[in-house]
Amino acid sequence: MAPRALGVGMNFLRSPRVWLWIAAAIVVVNGFFPALWIFFTSLKLEGELTRLPITYWPQHPTFQNYLQAFREQPLGRYFFNSVVVGVCSTLLCVGVASLAAYALARLQVPRRGLILSLMVGISMFPVASLMVPLYQTFTELGLRNNYLALILPHAALSLPVATLTLVSFFAGIPRDLESAAMIDGSTRVGALWRVVMPLAAPGVFTAAILAFVNSWDEFLLASTLLPAKAMRTLPVGIQLYQGEYSFPWPLISAALVVALVPVALIIALFQERVVGGLTQGGVKG
Amino acid sequence: MIRSERRYRRSFGDLSEGALAFWLLLPAGLLLGLIALYPVGRLIYTSFFKQRLSEGPQATFIGLANYAQALADDRFWNAFWNTVKIVVVTVPGALVVGLLLALIANLPFRIKWPVRLGLLLPWALPLIFVGLIFQWFFDSQYGIVNDVLMRLGLNREYWLIQPTLAFWAICWTIVWKTSSFVALILLAGLQVIPSELYEAAEVDGASRWQGFWRITLPLLTPAILVALIFRTITAFQTFDIPYAMTKGGPGTATETLAMYVRTESIENLNFGYGSALAVLLFLVSLAITVVYLRYVRGDDG
Repeated sequence: MAPRALGVGMNFLRSPRVWLWIAAAIVVVNGFFPALWIFFTSLKLEGELTRLPITYWPQHPTFQNYLQAFREQPLGRYFFNSVVVGVCSTLLCVGVASLAAYALARLQVPRRGLILSLMVGISMFPVASLMVPLYQTFTELGLRNNYLALILPHAALSLPVATLTLVSFFAGIPRDLESAAMIDGSTRVGALWRVVMPLAAPGVFTAAILAFVNSWDEFLLASTLLPAKAMRTLPVGIQLYQGEYSFPWPLISAALVVALVPVALIIALFQERVVGGLTQGGVKG
Repeated sequence: MIRSERRYRRSFGDLSEGALAFWLLLPAGLLLGLIALYPVGRLIYTSFFKQRLSEGPQATFIGLANYAQALADDRFWNAFWNTVKIVVVTVPGALVVGLLLALIANLPFRIKWPVRLGLLLPWALPLIFVGLIFQWFFDSQYGIVNDVLMRLGLNREYWLIQPTLAFWAICWTIVWKTSSFVALILLAGLQVIPSELYEAAEVDGASRWQGFWRITLPLLTPAILVALIFRTITAFQTFDIPYAMTKGGPGTATETLAMYVRTESIENLNFGYGSALAVLLFLVSLAITVVYLRYVRGDDG
């Protein structure tokens, strides 16, 4: 009986289904673990967090840390700031990118290759290098700690990738549709608005998601250009939770979860679009 | 007739093609000019001046003195080599882990979303938050890394306090964060490899291992190169993760070039010298970008 049971065990490992499950588990655990761990941490009170041996599963799960995170720091304000900068920079970026991408995909543009290369080149500029002159310029203009000081850079930083994504989308829309509308008496701008834009909407949406996530995640410029407490975005505000000597982990973990919910929702809802946008921008450059 | 046609032409709807292209490209040009090109010009200009805000707003032209100072500055070279070390460890690291993740994600799963989200989540998490979360992982007292080590009967380590360990902890974190983006690019490359190639190889009696080396890797080379160059450029700009995990410490043991730029220019308000450091960082990125553009734009002429 025993050898037979062992044989069954081995057969179990020989089944390709099992290996598929193990392989999938590796990717899923690798991707989800840090976010899950910080969620579990956020449900533990200070007493549980500073006890040895550490607990994995929360012993007395509670949402008290969340209340405290909102009470002790202007977390709601940080969230609001991130939304304002994220939404405005995304709209600006996608609007400007749509116009440029249409011209690059459809019209006779002299030195088109050079313009595209320049855009890719600009998207590789180190943010740390742009930070110093932007700090000087926005300080001189009196715009430091004004939303504009972060909206403009965030829109510009996502603009090259958004434009390149949209160029390939516009190029995929049959020209005949546009010509037909123009023969029917529509102007080129009219045809663009009524015929091309609705067809390009999925591309515009993809570009918008990427721009928003980039803005939501950005730290270096946000910490330099919007340093005032009331103007901080989530990455800046939460980073500064760490006092010089104390590490208020219950608060930080709760705040992190709050800050991660919007991006987690976006990628969960629009995963295929995000993957398409990322790989297209990356592979086609 | 003529008059109405002229009026029609003047309306915005029917500009000549060249003029329309100009107006459509203008906003993008203005935005990139204001936020990318003008700042780079100003950065280079400022790097030739001595300008310390702590000593007043005046700027004195000193030519290349800031650059000479940088080349003789131990802290600059320390930051430079730290950055190079991070590039040398994390770019191949992310490539190997990313390839592994991509190969797994390319398996014929019936339900695709858990694996896809497993790849997307690390990409979507803000770098600075990943740094904070992994700082908690590597905490010497309450971190899970030391907990696992002790359960395995090993000694706990002072991860972020001991310089060498801090470096490896940072590299581990960067590889975790960046390998999923590499995996997504490689996955897109894997999906366009025709399955007939593998079937033909199988008929010829090739093993899966041979199939991987003779078919998968060669056909994946373009995607690997794109990921490699892209990752190299971003690795040279590493800031957030070490900033969140160690603030460059202990001392300056894990300080990167981008972190030193920020300390000099924004915290010490030493614009002249900070700009010179930023120009050096910019030149390194530019050099790799030129290689990238040659490669990407080169083959479609």
